[in-house]
Amino acid sequence: MSCTGDGGQRELQITAYLDGELDLAGVLDLERHLEKCPRCAELLAAQRAMQQAIGAADLRFRPTLPQARRLRRTLGAPPAAAWWRQPQLRSIAALLLVAVGAIAGWSAGRRWPAPGASRISAHPETLAHPETLANPETPAIAEQVLASHLRAQLSGHPEDVASTDRHTVKPWFAGHLDYSLPVIDLAAQGFPLRGGRLDYVGGRPVAALVYQAGNHLVSVLVWPAGRDAAPGSAAVASGAAAATSSRGFGLRRWTQAGMTWWAVSDADSLDDLVRRLRAQLPQR
Amino acid sequence: MPATTIPFPLFRFKEAAAAREMPRDREEDRRRSRFEAVVLPHLDAAYNLARWLTRHDEEAEDVVQTACLRALRFFDGFQGGNARSWLLTIVRNTFYSWVAQHRERELDAPFDEEIHTVESAGGGPEAELLRRADAELLRQGFAALPVPFREVMVLREIEGLPYKEIAAIAGIPIGTVMSRLARARGHLQGYLIAHGAAGGRS
Repeated sequence: MSCTGDGGQRELQITAYLDGELDLAGVLDLERHLEKCPRCAELLAAQRAMQQAIGAADLRFRPTLPQARRLRRTLGAPPAAAWWRQPQLRSIAALLLVAVGAIAGWSAGRRWPAPGASRISAHPETLAHPETLANPETPAIAEQVLASHLRAQLSGHPEDVASTDRHTVKPWFAGHLDYSLPVIDLAAQGFPLRGGRLDYVGGRPVAALVYQAGNHLVSVLVWPAGRDAAPGSAAVASGAAAATSSRGFGLRRWTQAGMTWWAVSDADSLDDLVRRLRAQLPQR
Repeated sequence: MPATTIPFPLFRFKEAAAAREMPRDREEDRRRSRFEAVVLPHLDAAYNLARWLTRHDEEAEDVVQTACLRALRFFDGFQGGNARSWLLTIVRNTFYSWVAQHRERELDAPFDEEIHTVESAGGGPEAELLRRADAELLRQGFAALPVPFREVMVLREIEGLPYKEIAAIAGIPIGTVMSRLARARGHLQGYLIAHGAAGGRS
């Protein structure tokens, strides 16, 4: 039980605090109060514990296969009878296709597969590409970036190296890639670094950094600029990040510090993260 | 983020095929394709909300199905804002009209907006007990919440939506979102302590 006689105001404050919805003045006020009020501190501890338990449990209900099929029919979509219409299987198929594309690309002795060779045909209907991403190669890359993010989320462990310490993450990449990249922790800006993983995009291994944004994950994929077979990328080199969205996921691409950057997430705060990340990176 | 989504290859292919079959409905097919591209990504969220509100698989499907048909009817009025909010709002409203027809009593269940949390047993063990609550117990706890509390908890804790979006979906002020969440957490905490302890979980 929290403070008596305040009409529940402290409890409301604690609620908003837990949800990250309290403004700075409110946070400071509450934190000062918590130091001298064991009852409120206890309430916060209990509710935070409960929130953690909810976060750890999977409470989401998903339609069964036949249900999903019927619902899609309502939408006017063709029935989801075929296996490639199941999102999970699609992502696995995407992974296989990317892997096959990568192997084919390497074994053919080419640095890059022919345009479209590694295009994820299992995601045919999903990609959006506004004018800013008009380069014909870019949608294929965008599909792979999104597939990388979805795959990582589905696997349940979105990072190969889980560490909030960039001094652990950076050397780990150094041991797995033929290029090095700037690794920035954004914990102070509200986006703690969770770790990194390796992925295949455009038929080559690339670095993916994983950030936490509230309840959502953000994948940031990084590789040397000019190696993504997208000559048009120079157009966005110094301008605003190119933006697109697909299936409720936002994608942002820009070039900075000699690298091509892709950020993908369903978090509303994606643009904020990109802005803060860009501010921390070398400008050239 | 730009709100317009331009569907990629398959749509063009499908549209072409459809156009060959019945050319006069081409415009309607385009509209359908656009609608599908907007709604499909949020179908799981729609089902999750409906399932938590109805607490029943088939009823949830009915509600989502009806909501989708309504959404298609209102689609021309959709200005390309937040598609998830838009769809979830329709799902919620569909649920309320459905429940008024089928389970009127459910909404009469008394609930008050006042805040009075459970009396704490004191000490740290309570937080420990809550932290160990498993999915089964949490599910029961969520299901036991009155609908107005359940919906804000599902949107906040399972969908991870910000207060502003929850307020828009539930059609209530942000302050009410906050007080309902506070109250819902008080309820849930009481439920978990009572049933967790009784169930022999420690």
